[in-house]
Amino acid sequence: MSTTDVHAHRTTTPPADRATGGGAQVTAVRPPRISARGRAWRQRLVATLFLGPAVIYMVLFFGYPVIQNLIMGFQHYTITTFFTDEAPWAGWANYTEVLGSPLFRTALANTVIFTVGSILGQFVLGLGLALFFRRRFPLSGALRSLILLPWLIPLIVASAVWKWLLDTDSGALNRVLMGSGLIDSGIPWLSSTDLALFTVIVVNIWIGIPFNAVILHGGLQTIPQELYEAGSIDGTSRWQAFRHITWPMLRPVVSVVLVLGVVYTLKVLDIILGLTGGGPANATQTLATQAYQLSFATFDFGQGAAVSNILILISLLFAVIYLRLNRRPVDE
Amino acid sequence: MPRHLPAAPRGIHRGAPSPGNSRTSGLSRRSVLAAGLLAPAAALLTSCGDSGRVPANTLRVMDSYSNDPDYGIIGGALEDAADRVGVKLQRVAVSGQSLIQRVLQQGSSGTLPDILMLDNPDLQQIAATTALRSFDELGIPTEGYHDGVLQAGTYEGDVYGVVPTVNTIALFCNTAMFQEVGLDYPRTWDELRGCAAELTADGRFGIAFCGNATYEGTWQFLPFFWSNGADERSIATEEAAEALGLVSGFVQDGSASSSVLNWGQADVKDQFVAERAAMMVNGPWQLPELSGIEDLEYEIVMLPVRDSAQAPVAPLGGEAWTVPATGDSAKEELAAAVLTEFLSDESILSMAEQRFTVPGRPALTEAYLQRRPDMDTFVDLIPEARARTAQLGENWPTTATALYTALQLALSGQADPAEALDQAEEYV
Amino acid sequence: MNTVRHPKLNTAMGLVIIIVLLFPIYWMVNASLQPGGATVDTAWLPLNPDLSGYRTALDEQGGNLMTSLMVALGSVVLSLVIAVPAAYALVQFRLRWADYLLFAVLISQMIPGIVIANALYNVYAEIGLLNSIPGLILADSTSGIPFAILICRALMGSLPPALVEAAHVDGAGPVRAFLSVVVPVSRNAIITSGLFTFLFTWSDFLFALTLTTTEEVRPVTLGIYNYLGAYVNDWSSVMATAVLASLPALVLLVVAQKYVAAGATGGAVK
Repeated sequence: MSTTDVHAHRTTTPPADRATGGGAQVTAVRPPRISARGRAWRQRLVATLFLGPAVIYMVLFFGYPVIQNLIMGFQHYTITTFFTDEAPWAGWANYTEVLGSPLFRTALANTVIFTVGSILGQFVLGLGLALFFRRRFPLSGALRSLILLPWLIPLIVASAVWKWLLDTDSGALNRVLMGSGLIDSGIPWLSSTDLALFTVIVVNIWIGIPFNAVILHGGLQTIPQELYEAGSIDGTSRWQAFRHITWPMLRPVVSVVLVLGVVYTLKVLDIILGLTGGGPANATQTLATQAYQLSFATFDFGQGAAVSNILILISLLFAVIYLRLNRRPVDE
Repeated sequence: MPRHLPAAPRGIHRGAPSPGNSRTSGLSRRSVLAAGLLAPAAALLTSCGDSGRVPANTLRVMDSYSNDPDYGIIGGALEDAADRVGVKLQRVAVSGQSLIQRVLQQGSSGTLPDILMLDNPDLQQIAATTALRSFDELGIPTEGYHDGVLQAGTYEGDVYGVVPTVNTIALFCNTAMFQEVGLDYPRTWDELRGCAAELTADGRFGIAFCGNATYEGTWQFLPFFWSNGADERSIATEEAAEALGLVSGFVQDGSASSSVLNWGQADVKDQFVAERAAMMVNGPWQLPELSGIEDLEYEIVMLPVRDSAQAPVAPLGGEAWTVPATGDSAKEELAAAVLTEFLSDESILSMAEQRFTVPGRPALTEAYLQRRPDMDTFVDLIPEARARTAQLGENWPTTATALYTALQLALSGQADPAEALDQAEEYV
Repeated sequence: MNTVRHPKLNTAMGLVIIIVLLFPIYWMVNASLQPGGATVDTAWLPLNPDLSGYRTALDEQGGNLMTSLMVALGSVVLSLVIAVPAAYALVQFRLRWADYLLFAVLISQMIPGIVIANALYNVYAEIGLLNSIPGLILADSTSGIPFAILICRALMGSLPPALVEAAHVDGAGPVRAFLSVVVPVSRNAIITSGLFTFLFTWSDFLFALTLTTTEEVRPVTLGIYNYLGAYVNDWSSVMATAVLASLPALVLLVVAQKYVAAGATGGAVK
């Protein structure tokens, strides 16, 4: 069932009559009449049926942890709490403490740079790849499926491999650069405070490209060919076709990719911990790593929760913007 | 769903904490609420948790020796001890970094094991939560250990854990390279600086050490910090700055790679093995691998001190064994009996010999040196070795964080040593 | 748009892109074949390939690979069963509270995994879901479900309402209409989100670390992590495991990509 063409022409009839032997297919021309109120009620029932499981799951697996984390942010929550179940109320103390620490400002600035840099790189390269692999040429399908490969590798391994490649003295990257005579001594990719953040961003872009490329490619697939065909008769240039057809049609997918990208990037932890541990000298410390270290290195879970709540709040801003942009027009 | 509903649902094991749990509330309200919410989901899926009823003569053990050969060696010693007491063991070995998380989770769900291993600097914090039983109450002998070892296991005057075999760090020197340049092994900081500079050549650094932004970085910095008379209770002092100046000086003048900012101790060992470093700071746990490498000749010496009148002070490493307060007094007694056997002379000696660690009791030193003469440098360091938590107890992690922060600032050239310590002190 | 003038040139370009992108992965394969797990001076080519790393990996990680596979597939099924109808309902029915649900789905993606993992541990310990494949499937779907809802919603946006109307005209109920019309037409969206759900779960490490304590149920990511202990650094085994861990997923990718490529449904032009 590989390339059976699913009716690519505009049609308003369901796919070929599925005579599955199920209920007799009555060719009723008119839908059964239901009163407006009855219809609304039925629609609500159907919506509940379709949405119910998702809502229940979300409440159980997200609602409960989030509420716990919110409460934790207002408590003096330490190691002892785990054993005695006692966490004295702290009010805003955790927040004032965290916001007042010099590290927080560094981490916030790094988080912004890391997120903006990663998203720009991932999205532009991902979109470029998606557009490129939309073309049909020999091997295009095989090469396209390889794009996802970086995702298959456990992050702990990926960061270990990158750490080797980027090693100042014996890393493959510096060996290539030195061999080609571009530089005379190894570039300290991960151990210079000026370069480390840039390097971590590059690695994160590498990890994020597959995600962007594949989903944007999926979005491109849903744009009907006829649009371009109509355009090519008018003799539009490629750029015009992109601007007036591809981009507007792709917008819903673009916005979801961007907002998810931002949200995922804000949370990035393993890559940074694996490559630099937040160093050198906090040059790659982000809010996510700071929250992790507060909780699991210094065991101040209250402050750790405060930082992760701030992180969630920042993501929330993006979510609000996304929803604003995504307001579906009232009329289809 | 790969696993369909089993033919005969066995119902859910309610992971009830062992009977008579000291937390009278049993389950916290939060978890009851959540369990109530999730129970329907769970009823559809049967499974066996790790806290199902464990038979009365079986003890649960948790440690972080998750890799062989340690996994097998410790397992063997535990099994022998359990055999002598006549109980069975259910052992779980989790990876080192996740041990504490696991302990906390078990603490909150009332599923702590009967015997628990903790890295010695973590013991104070767990003891402070009243989650451990004191050795004196349980009658586990605590006599005859080195002072540092006992201190590491003592919280507010009571012993809560004992480290059977300990380790520390020293300086590994590549013999061939030293002969090449005709130098003696360094004993003072000046000599160390000289050697490091002299031994640096094309594709090779004089010295490799770990200066990363974790407790490992702190641990490797402590010998220089302590032997120069610095004190963790107040880190921004001249003595501390001198020690930091030594370490960051290596990177500044090119005798050490700037990558030390990211290297863990294993990476340092890799550099030494690849002969990209003439000296390294490391511990005896690398010996099994190093001794298996042909053509690699090395000598282990004590880490140099600034002034030859100073005595080297080594940080005490090693894992403590404890008995968590599970509320099941019968099992706590059994756990105490197993640990008493586990800490017997022969058991300690055999673990020390197999794992290249030093017995925690001075009385065993002589017998040990007969079995492992190559461990003499480490053996000499242990009597004066200092527990990281000796001064600050449960507050050590904050200072440890400040120390590696200062280390990173100085190594990366962001601040001079004195400034770096001042800045880092803000974190304490 | 899809026809290209210089097919060979494009293929060459594609190859270059992939080679650059996949170099770190080549490095991993290369390291897995190096004898003795040399790390610092890794050779450029595995000229004396040594398969002992793979032997170790297969011996020790075979079962873990199966565990990972079961969890990942289970999570794909669960996520799609829950998410696809929900996404469709969000697109199709104009509900006043749909925006709130969407908002909740978005928020859910912002929660650091560690927060969820810690909360789940306690609950799992009470109801006995630790060390179980169902437990991992449920936990791992925390990435899959919200993600699938968002992606399906974005990709179903172009679903012509007329299509469903037509099914109703034929007398099919909402569920039938959904199954026989919406699902086939949204194949692209479903496969894309299924694919990513698989990848999310396959590479999950946090839940594996938090919610399992025994050898019986141990996803391969955790198996690798345990190799990376402080005292043993047998890199060739670690890398060999990573390579093996990528193979089953790679096969799945290639298969799924075929469907994605074929699945241009071309919804109606609005």
